[in-house]
Amino acid sequence: MTENNTKRITFKVQRYDPERDSPPHFQEFTVPTSRGMTVLDGLIYIKENLDSTLAFRTSCRMAICGSCGMLINGYPHLACHTQIEEFHSDRLTIKPLPNQPIIKDLVPDLTPLFNNHKLIKPYILRSDTKELVNPTAEFAQEPQELETFLQFTYCVKCGICVSACPTSASDKLFLGPQALSQCYRYCADSRDGGKQERFPVVDTDHGVWHCHLAGACSEACPKGLDPALAIQLLKRQLVSGALRLGKKPPPSPVVSPPTETKPKIPFPEFTVK
Amino acid sequence: MRNTYLRLLHLVAGVLIAVLLGIHMVILHLDAILGFFGVDATEPTSWGAMISRAGQGIWVGLYIALLAVVLYHALNGLRGIILEVTPSPRTERIVTRVIIAFGIIAFIGGAYVPIALWTS
Repeated sequence: MTENNTKRITFKVQRYDPERDSPPHFQEFTVPTSRGMTVLDGLIYIKENLDSTLAFRTSCRMAICGSCGMLINGYPHLACHTQIEEFHSDRLTIKPLPNQPIIKDLVPDLTPLFNNHKLIKPYILRSDTKELVNPTAEFAQEPQELETFLQFTYCVKCGICVSACPTSASDKLFLGPQALSQCYRYCADSRDGGKQERFPVVDTDHGVWHCHLAGACSEACPKGLDPALAIQLLKRQLVSGALRLGKKPPPSPVVSPPTETKPKIPFPEFTVK
Repeated sequence: MRNTYLRLLHLVAGVLIAVLLGIHMVILHLDAILGFFGVDATEPTSWGAMISRAGQGIWVGLYIALLAVVLYHALNGLRGIILEVTPSPRTERIVTRVIIAFGIIAFIGGAYVPIALWTS
């Protein structure tokens, strides 16, 4: 970071320590930035050089772990996936994700998110539990069947969709777009047979029918998922189930793995002897 | 699947409102257009025309059905809005019971007028 191409950006960070502060307050830091620097890089700079007491959650730095979700200039982002120069501003206001309790500074308590996620049983449910526990073969699935839910498997559980959701803001018992889209992800899986266990969880006064279809979750998702679409498709599954419409294929059968495997790609020659 | 049935009924009620209210609007307020198509609806808002309609079972049925679907659609929607801001299951139960009671009373009161006119 040379002196010539650095720009000084003011980070206005919300600070809150429940053991010491009563209301949250803001603290400003001046951070030298360069091209390509992310908001997370700026926060790490603050922690290493200006104030080591600043608390934020981070891990992978490449938008895979979903740890560093925060409200940057009023919009939820992953800090590691957001470059400072995107904002074209000399000031960044950084707050913790809304609609979640705050543990400290920029660290939200994601316990409600994970509790709701657990409620919808986010794993393959089948009647043949013996095969599930001690698998002898594979559950067959066509590529077309995988396509019906593939995008929803990319959820990193960052909580950004819940923070953007206006229903989650007003209804604290609402399951939220994360849990509902994951419910669709498993109900749409051709290997799964657990609709009857999941539908009662989402068919409540604070479940799938409470989604207003604002679409804020899909707009905010840093992985490009469309949770609003998943919720609408889940509603369609519920209505089809209630009216007994459409075919109900059983969970995909167990098939032996292919005996013939593709030939392995040979290891490339070393370019340096 | 209770909530799914309630929501489906909500959607069906919305469609029925559009149909029943459409019939009401066309017959009572678009008589000039009906005349254009050769349907004679002379002064449909006059007292005589109103009393004449009140004696016909089809109109009584239409207005009672309209009252029922409007009440269901409106009160179920209102319940959904209130439940969004009531975090306690006990409050939810009270809200649901009050809304059901209000709906029944409003339906009886509203249905009394066309039935009384029809039977008189």
